[in-house]
Amino acid sequence: MIIIGEKINGTRKAVAQAIRERDAAFIKELAQSQAQAGSHYLDVNAGTSPEREPDDMAWLVETIQEACELPLCLDSANPKALKAGLALVNKTPIINSVSGEQPRIDGVLPLALEHKTGLILLALDDKVGIPATSEGRLEIVHRLVGLAKDGGLAEDQLHVDPLVTAISTGTNNGLITFDAIAKTRQAYPAAHITCGLSNISFGMPLRPLINQTFLGMCIMHGLDSAIVDPNDHQLLGVMLAAEMLVGKDKFCQNFSRAYRSGRIGPKTN
Amino acid sequence: MADLKELVSAVVEMREDEAMALTKKLLADGTPPLAVFDAYQAALEEIGKRFEQQLYFIPELIMSGEMMKAASEIIKPLLADQSGGQGKQRLGKVVIATVEGDIHDIGKNIVAMMMDLGGLEVRDLGVDVPADRIIAEAKDFGADIIGLSGLLTLAFDPMKQVVEKLQAEGLRDKIKVIIGGGQMDEQVCKYVGADAFVTDAVAGVNYCKGWLA
Repeated sequence: MIIIGEKINGTRKAVAQAIRERDAAFIKELAQSQAQAGSHYLDVNAGTSPEREPDDMAWLVETIQEACELPLCLDSANPKALKAGLALVNKTPIINSVSGEQPRIDGVLPLALEHKTGLILLALDDKVGIPATSEGRLEIVHRLVGLAKDGGLAEDQLHVDPLVTAISTGTNNGLITFDAIAKTRQAYPAAHITCGLSNISFGMPLRPLINQTFLGMCIMHGLDSAIVDPNDHQLLGVMLAAEMLVGKDKFCQNFSRAYRSGRIGPKTN
Repeated sequence: MADLKELVSAVVEMREDEAMALTKKLLADGTPPLAVFDAYQAALEEIGKRFEQQLYFIPELIMSGEMMKAASEIIKPLLADQSGGQGKQRLGKVVIATVEGDIHDIGKNIVAMMMDLGGLEVRDLGVDVPADRIIAEAKDFGADIIGLSGLLTLAFDPMKQVVEKLQAEGLRDKIKVIIGGGQMDEQVCKYVGADAFVTDAVAGVNYCKGWLA
């Protein structure tokens, strides 16, 4: 399972403030704590206005790299911000994300191809938005995977996001995602499949419970990458248990090690 | 004989079949259609309150909307039959859209539905709508309020554009602007130049009703 730590995101109030005030200590602490919790990548989203975003992205990348060695997941729709980040990264990053929307295909995809980065592909476009069916989403996925592969990216550099819509607005929205994950896994065995889990619980109480259950079920269908809070003990526990149960944890060693090191299970102080 | 209080409670408690049966029975017994309609309005108001108190959630809002819609289909023809068509005066007109660059529509759809049920006349322009079209539709519709929705930070600038264009057209004084979405706060509201920001549907409807009162 590839864990992409989600916490350095300028749409979170505390992070936005740290970016504005250039509070490097705060950002470094977020980077280190996510690295210690077992992240494989750190998502970097400046979340600021288009004029500021390139500078803010550059500052974030430099600041994070001073604190830890993890590769980054550059999270922006703004090609200028992505370029600013790409110019500074020490390790091959993932770009988050390209979709079937024309501005992203024109502005973001070429950067991923040029720098041979990992790439998150979102199953939506500017004609229908998020298709209501798994078939509709797969159509977009096929198109995007085709473009990425033709441009020279390997299948295992791709993280397909079949998208999650809220269960509160459609009783079958969970099933649609499961089906899209399963079909993507079948079509592209080497690709990674990721998704923004917490959309599922929008508008509902007990969101963590819903998110955790959903994560386990997504893993059952082939999910192997997720943008999450790696410090969330319970979520991480579900993730490792589910991976173990679907046969992806040899001799249950990931699970047992995480337990022994206190990364999952009851917190002991 | 069934009474209106029972109907209100059936709707509020989400007893779908019972509410429909009561509606039909009340109408058959000669209860004025407008009174039945008002009972639904009262129920929806209570549901909105429970939503604000986090006793109810989005599925309840959607379900109540569907109950109201089903009831309206029976009640509206009866209202029209009555001489003078006592269809209630609409409170005011709202143009609502997700701004250009954003395609999120859950929040917007719920707000549009709640406004419609709450007695506002709504023109929903959909998602990814350019500022020029929002202004043109608002003029054409005679809107009192423009509601702009967006989930992404990318939505801030397109929202600001709408307000600026409204100003350029000399309409800023006549049309209130409200912005909604998960990222909205006081700062964004100021940046955009909107009259108010909201992060949930019920609050949005309440603001608009307040302006039109």
